[in-house]
Amino acid sequence: MNMGGSDPVEGHTAKAFDAALSDLRLQIVGMGGLVIDQVSAAVRALLDGDATIADLVLSREKKVNELERFVDREAFRLIALHQPMASDLRMAKAASRITVELERAGDEAKKIAKFAARVATGEPQGPVLAVARFLRHMAELTTGMLRDAVRSLDESNAEMASAVRARDSELDDEFAAALRQILTLAMQDARFLGATIDTVFALKGLERIGDHAKNIAEQVLFVASGEDVRHTKKAAEAGTPEK
Amino acid sequence: MIDTTSTRGTPESTLRNEEPARQPPAGVAAPRVSIAVDDTRQSRAITSVKAQVENLNFYYGQNRALKNLSIPIADKQVTALIGPSGCGKSTFLRCFNRMHDLQPDTRYEGSITLHPDNINLVGSGIDPIEVRMRIGMVFQKPNPFPKTIFENVAYGLRLRGVRNRATLAEEVEKALRGAALWDEVKDRLQDSALALSGGQMQRLCIARALATTPEILLFDEPTSALDPIATAKIEELISTLRDQVTVLIVTHNMQQAARVSDYTAFMYLGELIEFDEAAKIFTNPSKKATEDYITGRYG
Repeated sequence: MNMGGSDPVEGHTAKAFDAALSDLRLQIVGMGGLVIDQVSAAVRALLDGDATIADLVLSREKKVNELERFVDREAFRLIALHQPMASDLRMAKAASRITVELERAGDEAKKIAKFAARVATGEPQGPVLAVARFLRHMAELTTGMLRDAVRSLDESNAEMASAVRARDSELDDEFAAALRQILTLAMQDARFLGATIDTVFALKGLERIGDHAKNIAEQVLFVASGEDVRHTKKAAEAGTPEK
Repeated sequence: MIDTTSTRGTPESTLRNEEPARQPPAGVAAPRVSIAVDDTRQSRAITSVKAQVENLNFYYGQNRALKNLSIPIADKQVTALIGPSGCGKSTFLRCFNRMHDLQPDTRYEGSITLHPDNINLVGSGIDPIEVRMRIGMVFQKPNPFPKTIFENVAYGLRLRGVRNRATLAEEVEKALRGAALWDEVKDRLQDSALALSGGQMQRLCIARALATTPEILLFDEPTSALDPIATAKIEELISTLRDQVTVLIVTHNMQQAARVSDYTAFMYLGELIEFDEAAKIFTNPSKKATEDYITGRYG
């Protein structure tokens, strides 16, 4: 489904307005790509105990923060100079919001990378390996959700955004299952309690990244329809935006 | 206030034109994403000045209407003048093509130096007719001559002695294209200009001004007599004109100034209160008076 028929970014009499809007969208897509990479890399660093990859993630965190400020400022400037209305106004507001969500997802990746760096320098990796399957699967789910959330904005695809919302519960189920597994492990063997807690935080971080992806998808739906679908869980589970 | 130049940073997207990968990337040692953030985009330098206004004063009889104005007018950029009624913005604009000379008992002091020739537009030794040949003007109300569309645009060229029919036709088409009017009138160039709509008439007046290839084009509230659609077309036209001519526009519509201008000057009671990049003026002006005016707290 395409929002509103025509491309929502183009077709203004003022070509400079078209350019500013599409530039804003492009920046968000670029930031999304970077954050997705951060999440994948952080989890890989953790599973492989790879300090180099962990350091790469940590070094790129600054770039994510810069992009947040940049996109936010461009959205602000767009509002001041072009006085967007209706769907354009929703887009400008959503852009500010989406960039915050992406930055927070990037923060979660950073925390996982810090844990990975500790694992690489001696913190026990046992608890991580015990839930490796879950970490890997949750990383796939969250990066897939982030990717589709950002793509749904780029392609103005409300159906794709709705599907992202629906997938959040699958991620929640994975998180719950991973918790059960790691709790069982902790009860059997309390030696690695510190690393176990860190692993739980990593799992929780991935679950939070899924929430951020869901929030982005909700902003995309807001741009598409003007309806605020936040905190309407039932509709999200049904896979359709609330009417 | 304004000191750096910039180029735009363009992110290389990993998302566009790519199928969603089901797996996390195999290797990340070589980053797939490279994104340049260019913070200097916040401000743009005036790299080239077309006209430098220096200590300009203007008097209607004893009344000093402009007080010591000094502003650089950036070459091939749009500079907007905003301010409440009676602040002197139109008076200032009219100095550029010596419109005040048509009234008795008026006087200029100071200078408006036109580059690169370094002539003072308001200097006593300068012929106002010559100034008007080089500085075009478009008024609030469209004022086409009661002639054909073609003749309206050809008029200034004929005044300059262009007689060759082919040259005239070529220049008229170029000017009409430049004013985004050609496609609408190319089949009826011999019709009366007075049969056009208000927005078309205004674009015809812009074409008429463009035909004589002015160095600066002055706009005095060019859209206040037009509907929103025609206004949007004129604004877009003004934005594209910056490729070929320096534009100075007076508007009482602040949003319009935000939309079309690169630089904005806020005037009050004949004085320049603040001059800066438009993005700065409309997001974070330096002076409280500017802030009060653009936020509607004035008066």
